[in-house]
Amino acid sequence: MTRKNTVEYVVRFSRWARVQHAAIIVLFTLLLVTGLPQKWPGAAASVWIVDHLGGIFAARWLHRMTGIVFSGLVVAHLTVAITGLLSGRTKPTMFLGKKDFSDAINNLRYYAGYAEVPPKFGRYDYRQKFEYWGLIFGSIVMVVTGFILYFPGTLARLLPAELIPAAKVMHSYEALFAFLIVLIWHIAGAHLAPESFPIDTSIFTGRIRKDKLKHEHPLEYEELFKEP
Amino acid sequence: MRRRLARLVFSLPGTLVLMLALFVASIAARQTSAPAPASIPAPAQPTAPIPESVSACLACHEDEAMELAFSDGTAMSLFVDVAAFTRSVHAGQLTCTDCHAKYDDDHPMGTAFESRRAYTLNSYELCKRCHFDTYTRTLESVHYEFLKLGVESAPICTDCHGAHNIADPHEKRAMVSRSCAACHEEVNATYASSVHGHALVEDNNGDVPACADCHTHHQVQLPGTTRFRLNSPETCIRCHGDETLMAKYGISTTVAQTYLADFHGVTASLSKHLTDDQQRIVVTCNDCHGVHDIASPALKGAEAMKATVQQVCSSCHQDAAPTFPAAWLSHYPPSPRNAPLVWAVESMYRFFIPFAVIGLILNLGLHVYRMSAGR
Repeated sequence: MTRKNTVEYVVRFSRWARVQHAAIIVLFTLLLVTGLPQKWPGAAASVWIVDHLGGIFAARWLHRMTGIVFSGLVVAHLTVAITGLLSGRTKPTMFLGKKDFSDAINNLRYYAGYAEVPPKFGRYDYRQKFEYWGLIFGSIVMVVTGFILYFPGTLARLLPAELIPAAKVMHSYEALFAFLIVLIWHIAGAHLAPESFPIDTSIFTGRIRKDKLKHEHPLEYEELFKEP
Repeated sequence: MRRRLARLVFSLPGTLVLMLALFVASIAARQTSAPAPASIPAPAQPTAPIPESVSACLACHEDEAMELAFSDGTAMSLFVDVAAFTRSVHAGQLTCTDCHAKYDDDHPMGTAFESRRAYTLNSYELCKRCHFDTYTRTLESVHYEFLKLGVESAPICTDCHGAHNIADPHEKRAMVSRSCAACHEEVNATYASSVHGHALVEDNNGDVPACADCHTHHQVQLPGTTRFRLNSPETCIRCHGDETLMAKYGISTTVAQTYLADFHGVTASLSKHLTDDQQRIVVTCNDCHGVHDIASPALKGAEAMKATVQQVCSSCHQDAAPTFPAAWLSHYPPSPRNAPLVWAVESMYRFFIPFAVIGLILNLGLHVYRMSAGR
């Protein structure tokens, strides 16, 4: 668990978690690069990107292939998460509880200066949980609407065809939403925030500094280093 | 001295004075250099005096019986209808020898051309002496390609514009279509019965497109290419995206936006500038609305339009169910009445995205504020 005398580290993320994060970075970027130009086809940047990808048909092919891989990742994540929970190998640390909502309010009160200390967070604070569940539901929305748009003829044979333009609107707006969340919240919050600047490396190395863990996730810290 | 000047110029009042001076100077310059409104000399009245150089020609060419015989046995009348010329756009601007430059008092009587067409083809390039830009555009047209291949009937300047009786083509829009009809008779008949052609031919409506508005005047391209196809929405949108023009006829400009926002519209937008072999066929305006036979969808009726859309969809989406065309919202923007589901999804995101984004930015701002100020 611990290393050296000067700086002590704690393992925070498993190899599987790190692999998933790296895969998300690659897949998300590819999907945005091939997808956003289709949302704004009139922009000069969109035309430039699509041309450099080899045209709209090549860009759409790449978008769909990346989407299929992404869908596979979503299925794999949910399978591992659910089997892990059912077998008791992983603790249900990501579920939202009443405390997360009170934490959100108390943390905002602390930011605004109405409270002296921030609330004490567990393994994941409320922001990380909201973002995780946003990612899960957003991914499901993108995968489902994406496949509707990939096979519109098949959908029309099974369900009302109005679902196709609805899926298109949803896919387009959800993508924009995800892009903005990642841009503003995830990168700014997890990397540019004063505590983490310039970058929070724990998701890449899997390790977190012990003092940082104590500061950011005091409840988890207490549980890990309980006095016997 | 120089430094003082520089200091004056860069000082605030100095800058203001300089800017004011430049502004006044630019206005003055614009006023003096502004081109006077293009004064087109009014066509001379038939009673206008005929210049001496012209009357000299007319001495012979007023003879209605005067003819030139060609080596193929045909003949061309050399009679010049003065009245027609003085009504033409060139009256008062050009005299005979401006175009017929080789002819002086004792010019040859009976030049040896094989036919009338040979004579015309030999002399039409005279126009480029004044209309050089227009002439060069014709060199890029499909008509010139045919001419190069030796097709003598390919149109040249005088075939559409005439010779002595040239009218202002901007005033006589119906003439444009009539010129094309000389060869493209069948297309013109179809066009004349379309919603656009009917308005032009019957009501002399200047708003509707004549042939050249879609095909261009002089640089006419082969319309069968993918490139022409993919650019066709842009052609339609020039008018159908113009709100003031469409308001006159009670037509919604959303037809343009809804097409462009659609999957196929995106494909057309992102591939229209590519060369032909990189493109694939996508559905454009013409596929459902027709080309020369465009009818008013309102007159055609919703059922007939639906049947057309059905047919167009299934020409590519062979596996499509009969319900598949309902995925196309018929140019209607989503609303609670038309496509309520699409409208609901759109409205939800339009509210939720700004709400969430502003909230997150405020949260981040507060975080930084607390870290810096509250420490």
